[in-house]
Amino acid sequence: MARNELQRHSYAHRVVHWTVGLSFLLLLLTGLAFSYPSLFWMTTILGGGAAARVIHPVAGIVFSVGLALMFFMWVREMFLGQLDWKWLGAIKAYASHDRAAVPPVGKYNAGQKLFFWVESILGAVLLLTGLPLWFPADFGGDFLVLMRLLHYLSTLGAGLFLIVHVYLSTVAYPGTLRAMLYGRVTAGWAKLHHPLWYKEKTEH
Amino acid sequence: MNLSDSSLALKRISASPEPVAPGIRQNPEIAKLVDISRCIGCKACEIACKEWNELKVEPTHNFGSFQSHVDLSPDTWLLMRFNEVEIGGDVKWLIKKDACHHCEEPGCLFACPAPGAIVQYENGIVDFNQENCIGCQYCVAGCPFDIPRFNAETRKVYKCNMCIDRVEAGLEPACVKTCPTNAISYGTKDDMVLLAEDKLEVLNNRGFQNAALYNPEGVGGTHMMYVVPYGDQLEEYDLPESPVAERGAISALGAIKTIGAFLFGAGILATALHYLAVGPDTPDENSHGEG
Repeated sequence: MARNELQRHSYAHRVVHWTVGLSFLLLLLTGLAFSYPSLFWMTTILGGGAAARVIHPVAGIVFSVGLALMFFMWVREMFLGQLDWKWLGAIKAYASHDRAAVPPVGKYNAGQKLFFWVESILGAVLLLTGLPLWFPADFGGDFLVLMRLLHYLSTLGAGLFLIVHVYLSTVAYPGTLRAMLYGRVTAGWAKLHHPLWYKEKTEH
Repeated sequence: MNLSDSSLALKRISASPEPVAPGIRQNPEIAKLVDISRCIGCKACEIACKEWNELKVEPTHNFGSFQSHVDLSPDTWLLMRFNEVEIGGDVKWLIKKDACHHCEEPGCLFACPAPGAIVQYENGIVDFNQENCIGCQYCVAGCPFDIPRFNAETRKVYKCNMCIDRVEAGLEPACVKTCPTNAISYGTKDDMVLLAEDKLEVLNNRGFQNAALYNPEGVGGTHMMYVVPYGDQLEEYDLPESPVAERGAISALGAIKTIGAFLFGAGILATALHYLAVGPDTPDENSHGEG
C-alpha cells in the first residue's frame, strides 16, 4: 500500500458487494423485461424470454444470499447515532458540497447507513414476494397480482436509492469507486468524506 | 355463414405494447354449447381431442370414479368430470366438460408477461403460442377456471385451443364432431345463445325448473357455454359461481408501472442536474503535504 493510502474494504467485503451488485443488474434486466412489454427485447441478450425466466429466480437466490452476507458483515457499523441525526439535518449543505457546514463523520455517514437499511428491508420483501412468483401455479390470481405489485414497488424503491448510490460513488465523488474495486482510498479522499475515520486510522 | 372467415384475425395479444389494429370486416364470434342433459358420459370427446391434437396417451387408474383421468394435464386438454351428487334421494352425475372456456375477458391473457404467448382471435378462441411462452405460469394463476397446465420438461403451458386448425378450415372442433348424442353444439355465439334458450325451455317442461345457461358475466361471457339441468347447483358441477378475470388489478399494476418509469427517469435526471449544478467534489491530495 502506498504511504498516502488507507485500507477501506476487505477482499471479502468487495466480493460480497459485487455479487449483490451484478446479480441485481441481472435481476433488473430480466425483471424490467417482464414488467414492461416494450422492454421485453432485453431478454434477447440473455438468451430469450424462456432463459430469462429461468435466470431471474436463480439470480434472485444469489442476490438474497449475497444481501444476507452483506447485512451481517456491515450491520455493526450501520446503527445511527446522535451524530448521524445532526448530519441528516445538514443534508442540504452536504448536497451542495458545503463541507464546512456538515458535521464530520466516521467510516459511514447517515446517508450510507440509511441506504443500507432501506436495501436490506426491500431485499427481504423482494425475496418474500418473489418466491410465490417463482411457483405461481400454487397461488390464486388476486394474491399473485398483489405479490407482483409489492415486488415491483420494492424494486422501484431499491432502484431509486441505487441511482443515488451509483451517482455518488462514481462521478459525484471521484476516488470512491476504487475503494470498492481495490479496497483502498487516498488520504485526501478520507479527509474529505470521512474525517473522523481518517483520524482514527492515522492516530498511532 | 362460413365460420372460417373470422378465424385468424386477432383481437388481443398478451403483453403487447402495440394494440391490435382493428380490421374492417365484422367477424362473427363462435361458441360451443355443451348440453349436460344430453351427455351420456361416453368420453368419445376426450378421445377425439387426444387424436386430433396428437396428445400423448396417459395411463389411467381406477380411483373410484367413472372419470378417466384424475385431472387435466399438459397432454389432457379435455376431461369429463363425473361429479356424483345426491339429489332427491337419487345419485346423479353432474358431469362437467372440463376444458378451456375461451373467455371473452381472458384472465390468462391479461396476466401473461410474454408478448404474443397468448392471443385471442376475433372469433373468440383464446390460444397459447408455445414458441413465445416463457414458462412463467402466471396464466395458470390468472385463469379463474384452473385450466392451463404447465409441462415441467418443455417449460411451456398448454390447454384446449378449440381445434383452431379445424375451425380455421371451416370445420367444427373434434369434440363436437364426435359427440354421438349432439350434446355439444357449435356455431356463432348468437346462435348458440338462442339454441340454449330453446334447450332451457325443453328442460323446464321436463321438470328441471332450475336449468340454466352458464355463460358467466365476470369474464365477459365465454365461448364454451353450458346448459346445466341443475342450475342452482353450480358448485356441485365444479363450475365457479362468479369467476372474474383480474383485468382491473392488472391495469392498476400497469398504471403504477407507468408512474414508476417516470420516477426512475426523474431520478436519473435529478442526478444529472445536480452534477451540472455543483459538479464533482474532488479530494485535494496536496494541501496537507503528504502528496
